[in-house]
Amino acid sequence: MRSTRSWVAVTAAVLALAALAAVLVRVLAPAGTVAEITVDGQVVESIDLSRVTEGYSFTVEGQWGSNTVEVEPGRIRVSAADCPDQVCVRQGWVSDSASPIVCLPHRLVIQLTGGESGVDAVS
Amino acid sequence: MGIQKITRMALLTAIALTIFVAEAQLPAPVPIYGVKLGLANIVTVWAVFLLGPLEAAMILLARVLLGSLVTGQMMALLYSLGGGALCLCAMIPLSRVLTEKQMWACSVMGAVCHNIGQILVAIAITRTPALAVYLPVLLVSGVITGLFTGLCAQALTGRLRKLLRL
Repeated sequence: MRSTRSWVAVTAAVLALAALAAVLVRVLAPAGTVAEITVDGQVVESIDLSRVTEGYSFTVEGQWGSNTVEVEPGRIRVSAADCPDQVCVRQGWVSDSASPIVCLPHRLVIQLTGGESGVDAVS
Repeated sequence: MGIQKITRMALLTAIALTIFVAEAQLPAPVPIYGVKLGLANIVTVWAVFLLGPLEAAMILLARVLLGSLVTGQMMALLYSLGGGALCLCAMIPLSRVLTEKQMWACSVMGAVCHNIGQILVAIAITRTPALAVYLPVLLVSGVITGLFTGLCAQALTGRLRKLLRL
């Protein structure tokens, strides 16, 4: 029983640190202009979003299923997918590196890289 | 293993599975993998404390396997197993040093480890280490949901004891 107080402290500390890290990740995330689409770790498509002038969409057919990716100037999203959970579709438009789009059932990740690095600018 | 023990474990597995399937029907509040209440872990936490490590592990394994079958998301099986294994690794030693009134702390640490395990499996499967950016968000959610499920488990202790005639 002696340690209830210390467990409260540990819990509060983990919560505070994680919240701080979550905020830092958001704030310091580089904007990201190059969208890299990988399936199973293999790059299948790399798009420089800063050079996109007109929106278009295409379908990534993987071994596990297909995702329709929509691109607009500076942003990208999965507009449709035949995965059971639809998490990738619900994530919506992404324009920074802090929130890569993930479709776990299809092992697909859309990660934004490149551009001005916020981390470098701060440090 | 006596019949009474097997029956108890089967009953708890059924309770956990029911909670799990019911929760799976609700739409996820945030479109991030791993952010969910995890109410079925009420049973896991409780079992670790009152039945023992082996019993808790067996109930968890049965629930995870049956849960994936019932909800039809076999991909989720890997994440649940990875998360569940790490979660038990934290909760079993903690249940030895904590009292029943401190179940919530065990649940919080279990949830945090569950989320770490899940993200490790996700990184391994997609081969994308960058997914670690989601760890802080998952930890925040893990602490909050772990606290909630732990307090639920604590509140249910008396009733479950009566139900299972422990």
